[in-house]
Amino acid sequence: MDKQGFRLVLVLTIICIIAGAVLAFVNSVTEPKIKAQEALAMKKALQETLPEASEFQPDESLLKEAQQAGGTDLSELFIGFKGEEKIGVVLIADLRGYSSVIRLVTGVSRDGRVMGVKVLSQSETPGLGNKISEKEFIEQPALQQATIEEQLSVIKDGGSVQAVTGATISSRAVVKGVNQSLAAARLFMQKD
Amino acid sequence: MSKWQIFKNGVFNENPIFRLVLGMCSTLAVSSAVVNGLGMGLATTAVLVGSNVIISLLRNVIPKEIRIPAYVVIIATFVTIVDKLMAANTPELHKVLGIFIPLIVVNCIILARAEAFASKNTVGRSAIDGLGMGIGFTLALTVLGAIRELLGTGTVLVAKDFGFSGFSIFPKENGILLMVLQPGAFITLGLVLAGINWWARKKEEKKHG
Repeated sequence: MDKQGFRLVLVLTIICIIAGAVLAFVNSVTEPKIKAQEALAMKKALQETLPEASEFQPDESLLKEAQQAGGTDLSELFIGFKGEEKIGVVLIADLRGYSSVIRLVTGVSRDGRVMGVKVLSQSETPGLGNKISEKEFIEQPALQQATIEEQLSVIKDGGSVQAVTGATISSRAVVKGVNQSLAAARLFMQKD
Repeated sequence: MSKWQIFKNGVFNENPIFRLVLGMCSTLAVSSAVVNGLGMGLATTAVLVGSNVIISLLRNVIPKEIRIPAYVVIIATFVTIVDKLMAANTPELHKVLGIFIPLIVVNCIILARAEAFASKNTVGRSAIDGLGMGIGFTLALTVLGAIRELLGTGTVLVAKDFGFSGFSIFPKENGILLMVLQPGAFITLGLVLAGINWWARKKEEKKHG
């Protein structure tokens, strides 16, 4: 290799090493903070979807059972306690939307009623699919007041959930998540 | 060129969207609403100023044969830092703008300014160029977003994340959904570009008699 060629390789290598080092440093500083923010957001979402519970505990074995029974998108399961008493279950589902993974939180009380549904994170198309996080969609009674006897679907598919205009795929993903969560809640209720 | 002229150049004469027609990918994608345009514009401005400054600082160090890969590495690093810092320190804002930030890497305005301006000018002038271009980009995105949001939904400046429900001009049912969808982006951009070109040509003809 001639001298000039060597210089090019050297400069680019140095730039990449510096960039890598800077990124590693920024990552090491921000990673714990980001994790903490996520944990905080998760705690808040659990509290919002099952307001009466004072403590939440993950239940791996029930989650496995629910996943095997068809809840393939469920990723976490928490049992809500009020004192010693189990008062409900909160499910977190990661669903394939139109252009991103939608993280959905559903809280179901012990008597089989949905206590709250919330989109924790998503990056669907701005102006269309991302409206699934908005009040008009996520807080509609068909979702928020569903019971475990129901099998939900969007109006286009013959159900009662009003989809976001122009974003049927994103809306269907949310409905699918709620359905899987309801099925898991049924398992929870059969157990106790 | 004075510093003020550099700034004005980016905002008007060489507006990245309306005059240079650069960065169309993100323009078409995020101009569906005013808030989206504004958010993307401001995030891009931050990256543009930062990358322009660093590339200008290194302009005598980077050999010209490898300048493009070097610029890409610097820009991508900068975008990742902005993304991480925002996620750690302003999670609310990051939630709103988060989806736009990775898009900045592929915005060719940033590479274009690095190549055309920052690599040949002093740090101060490059920073001003980045600021002017960024504001020009923001302005254009906001204008396109306002047109599409208004015609599509009958309301402008909806910012639910900031608790702002916008100005309703006409009922939602009368909106043209197409304007918020992808075709609306092409139609709006085409018409606005045509209008601006017509106006610029008129001005030019007047000047030369």
